[in-house]
Amino acid sequence: MIGARVRRVEDPRVLLGKTLYVDDLDLPDAVALAFVRSPYAHARITGIDVSAAQAHSDVLLVLTGTDVAGVIKPLRVEYEASKAPTHKPCDWPVLAQKKVRFVGEAVAVVVATDRYTAEDAADLVDVEYEALDTIWDVEQALDPNSPLVHEEWGDNVMQTVQVEIGAVGSAFQEADCVVSERFETGRHMALPMETRGCVASFEPSRDALTLWSSTQVPHVLRTHIAALLDFPEHHIRVVAPDVGGGFGQKAHVFPEEVVASYIALQLKKPVKWIEDRRENLSASMHAKQQVVHAELAFNKDGTILAAKGRFVADVGSYSEFPWGSAFEAGHAASTMPGPYKVPAFSFEAVSVATNKTTIGVYRGVGLPIGVLTMERLMDMAAQRLGLDPAELRLRNMIRKEDHPYTTIVGAEIESGSHQESLQKALDMLGYQGFRTEQAQARQHGRYLGVGIGCYVEGTAPSSVAFESMGLNLGGYESATVRMDVAGKVTLLVGTHSHGQSHETTYAQVAADELGVPVADVRVIEGDTTAVPYGMGTWGSRSAVTGGGAISKASQKLRNKMLRIAARLSEVPDDDLELAEGLIRRKTDGTPLMPIKDLAQRILMRPGGLPPDEEPGLDMTAHYEPPPATHANASHVATLEVDIETGQITLLRYIVVEDCGTIINPMVVDGQIQGGVAQGIGTAMYEHAIYDENGQFLTGTLMDYLIPTAVDVPQVEIGHIESPSPHTPHGIKGVGEGGAIAPPAAIANAVADALSPFGVRVNEIPLTPERVLTLLDGAKSEQ
Amino acid sequence: MNNSQFTERLTIHVRVNGQDFEREVEVRRLLADFLRHDLGLTATHLGCEHGVCGACTIMMDGESVRSCLLFAVQADRAEILTVEGLAQGDDMHPLQQAFWDKHALQCGFCTSGFLMSAYDLLQKNPHPTQDEIRHGLSGNLCRCTGYANIIKAVQAVADQSHS
Amino acid sequence: MKPAPFMYARPDSVEEALALLQAGGDEAKVLAGGQSFVPLLNLRIASIDAVVDLNRLSELAYIKRDADTLCIGAMTRHRQVEVSEEVQAVQPLLARAAAEVGHLAIRNRGTIGGSLVHADPAAEWPLVAVMLDAQLVMRSHQSTRTVAAREFFLGPLMTAIEPNEILCEVRFPLAPPSAVWGFQELCRRPGDFAIVAVACQLSRGHSGICSAAALAVGGAHATPLHIPEVETVISGSKGEDAVIAAAAEKAAAAVDPSGDVHGSADYRRRMVKVLTARALKEAWGKAA
Repeated sequence: MIGARVRRVEDPRVLLGKTLYVDDLDLPDAVALAFVRSPYAHARITGIDVSAAQAHSDVLLVLTGTDVAGVIKPLRVEYEASKAPTHKPCDWPVLAQKKVRFVGEAVAVVVATDRYTAEDAADLVDVEYEALDTIWDVEQALDPNSPLVHEEWGDNVMQTVQVEIGAVGSAFQEADCVVSERFETGRHMALPMETRGCVASFEPSRDALTLWSSTQVPHVLRTHIAALLDFPEHHIRVVAPDVGGGFGQKAHVFPEEVVASYIALQLKKPVKWIEDRRENLSASMHAKQQVVHAELAFNKDGTILAAKGRFVADVGSYSEFPWGSAFEAGHAASTMPGPYKVPAFSFEAVSVATNKTTIGVYRGVGLPIGVLTMERLMDMAAQRLGLDPAELRLRNMIRKEDHPYTTIVGAEIESGSHQESLQKALDMLGYQGFRTEQAQARQHGRYLGVGIGCYVEGTAPSSVAFESMGLNLGGYESATVRMDVAGKVTLLVGTHSHGQSHETTYAQVAADELGVPVADVRVIEGDTTAVPYGMGTWGSRSAVTGGGAISKASQKLRNKMLRIAARLSEVPDDDLELAEGLIRRKTDGTPLMPIKDLAQRILMRPGGLPPDEEPGLDMTAHYEPPPATHANASHVATLEVDIETGQITLLRYIVVEDCGTIINPMVVDGQIQGGVAQGIGTAMYEHAIYDENGQFLTGTLMDYLIPTAVDVPQVEIGHIESPSPHTPHGIKGVGEGGAIAPPAAIANAVADALSPFGVRVNEIPLTPERVLTLLDGAKSEQ
Repeated sequence: MNNSQFTERLTIHVRVNGQDFEREVEVRRLLADFLRHDLGLTATHLGCEHGVCGACTIMMDGESVRSCLLFAVQADRAEILTVEGLAQGDDMHPLQQAFWDKHALQCGFCTSGFLMSAYDLLQKNPHPTQDEIRHGLSGNLCRCTGYANIIKAVQAVADQSHS
Repeated sequence: MKPAPFMYARPDSVEEALALLQAGGDEAKVLAGGQSFVPLLNLRIASIDAVVDLNRLSELAYIKRDADTLCIGAMTRHRQVEVSEEVQAVQPLLARAAAEVGHLAIRNRGTIGGSLVHADPAAEWPLVAVMLDAQLVMRSHQSTRTVAAREFFLGPLMTAIEPNEILCEVRFPLAPPSAVWGFQELCRRPGDFAIVAVACQLSRGHSGICSAAALAVGGAHATPLHIPEVETVISGSKGEDAVIAAAAEKAAAAVDPSGDVHGSADYRRRMVKVLTARALKEAWGKAA
């Protein structure tokens, strides 16, 4: 069934309105939380008066930072010092201690009979603040005279990583052509349609805490809740029910989840916290805001000689827990070389604290910024060298015959189709035809442009990769495959689906491994009492790692069943297979028995089994992926710019992707279309804006704009399959891919459209006003 | 109650998906919360509570409305249709079937709102162009699908009614 | 994001509603379609003591015309104006403006009266009401008065309506037979409030000369702004490019915009110029 367009198993319950998202869970006697949040970006708390709130008739409890200081540990990201020598940790208190560091920081929490009254009482909490100078700009934050977000650091730098590989200096000295640019990117966010939220419930008679949370990482959450509350982990059950999107935002552990759990333990009542959209915009996780200075050196035939980049990320006030916000800049920097052969490379990744909401992981993490940087520089170089931008890329890309290719940063790219995917995308567009159309349009005062964005993504990062960073995080995944007496299969997997279609695609993998119909496979995720310990879903990892664990466990189960079948039938087990619901001979297809008959025999009548075989049909496997599994893609965008208003109209958007073996093309296409939509948002619409007092200006969906049905074209998708030689079935990851290249492709297309004016397109999002400002800048330089 | 007096609570009568309900509510209670938490009809979702995302779209007296921008008391004596009332028994509504066939949903959180907006769109314009579908659904935000398959699903239903 | 407590009444007649407003004093507010007001309540930006819900006042939901006026009841939903054959026949610009309001579900519920009284300077109804010199009929417990739309808007979200008054009817002059209109809106996304919007109506005489003109802009001033200087430039011309360019300059000079996250003051002023030219050309193109 791998490769088939199977309709999704999960859809009927959604379409009929029978899903269970966390706010759909109304437990008897439950109470609601509302957080009191800071209106100041940076201020000392000089007093909190909760008496009026406590006096409210519907209020059960009000807690401030002082109340929880000794009993709930702060969120504190620690790397192993030898692996991250410049990293400075900070405490993120679940309720602010002494000072607040961003608008929206939780200062107190009110527990009341429902959310309406909880908000009423939260309004009655009187907090006195003494305003402090605000750090709102990342470059000013590096000034030695800047105010400090964390005084104990001595400056605002969370981490600096400097790497130089190869003779970068001499390569730049000897180069025929050097291009350099400063880039500034927006402060973006994942913005899942379902906000964060959780329900915590404590059963004293069993000393059992259950936390239903809209999370991507149920086991990780369980482990950290246990540690932060000093409550035994084996008495905690975390359930991620249906989750309404995550895109990275819900791959963190949040103060609110810890506070809700604590209050459930204290009150011995179910506690519900459902984040509202204003909280989600201002106080969940932001992403991606960076200032980049980068350079590329070429010889005169267009061969890349060296690359340099300084990536400065505005990580906000704290460090995203438990992975750490320094991820962002490092990831952008290290992915800058992309699918190109870069013989020498130096980078600096600087993570800087400011008085803003913390930066966390969001689809692609730093990659969209690394790719934007490299791909804009490639276009600038093409113009300087008098080469077509497509041609310049093709000359420098890793070729098919180069695989396995070790990149300048030491990644082994096992397989791929860099040149082929770009060529195919250009063919799908009709590249030369577009150039003719563009020339004609210009004669009529219309400005059309085409832009390319190419990337290679290390999907499904391995445990080794995290070990090298000194991070407490695994890259492995776990699955239990269980067959029942009817021959039907249950998969229990440590990942979690919040739109990724695991109930369908995992069933396809197991169906192939076990020779049963997809309809006979049920997938269970998200309940830590049911599924083996796993890392959850993020980093384009589930198809590779969840799929890998399912394959591995299924193979164990298959081997056992075939061994037993061989002993019972006296046919050698290497001539037996599971297929079409049967155990049959490989050589001539002769059926021996239905799978269900053997399952029944093993589970219900094990007395007659060979004595050296254990009874039972549950098999668990833990799958560690290869050091990296590389997917690649080429994006090509065409668009028109209205040079009077600055408005961009997307005309066509083409993606040729290569994620190795495709499990379900319908699902892969859906991931790409959706990823591109988010990338369009990153490129053109989305920006979480603060003013110079650190006030948050985009607190509603009228201010933080994501693309609508009118703004996203039908993406034209082409596929190339370069299977991984290292993963089961050759599967690679694909989840993040669509979102990675649109900023590059769109920025390049805008620059191409406005090339008669020589516009420097070096900022996103490309709002209408920004496009006009860039045009003004070009005109004033001319 | 005397309608010409101010009050804090009201008893309302609502017909939802063909079933009659009578409940006393606080006047500030949002219709979405009433449907979800008082009647247990949780298919209608809340994504923003300020009338932008469209996840809470329902049909009230034959028109699509945002249930986060209405108070439950305003639905007194109204007839409401939510996603729970779209299917006929086990038979999906053609829109539900088309959403399934075309892979028009991923996480599913926005789906109910899209179904109800599409229902109203097709009722008002049974044969929309692709552009009309895009504009007709532009008040509903989806963060997963990139909309293309939603548009195809609505188009498919419109095409069916053609033949 | 739930509204703070309030008292609520839902009168069955305008008379009852006016009595409630009178009784409620300054603390009572009118709820029309609620598409702008309820978000403010949910966000707790606005907090009020009492709400008078007008949604049962079917007597205020109508579209009718007499000899020279199109009268629209204040509780008429945007969608009803958008699809009204009467409106299409006598003042099609209004149908176009209605279609630009928000999204389908918003237009199904939101009302023309609510939009006018909310007085967002970037909204469609205030803009066309000012451009067309509409008259607004307001009633209080004691009296009825009519205020010109051009006098009604005092600033962002501020109007001449008194706390005890209800806007009951909007009266638009019918489009003269020779009239053509232009309507241009620049939004980040469809359905968003305009960054800048321009509406105009021109009348073309026998020899192709503009005999009358009206133009107003939204989103670029504290209120929707009627700009007579543009009309002076356009009237008597044949819509030559240079005239339109001069008119656009006049419009840009007349506004005093403030900026927000979607567009700075400078950008808005520039867009007034661009959109004024486009609106005039659009209208002129219809006359040709």
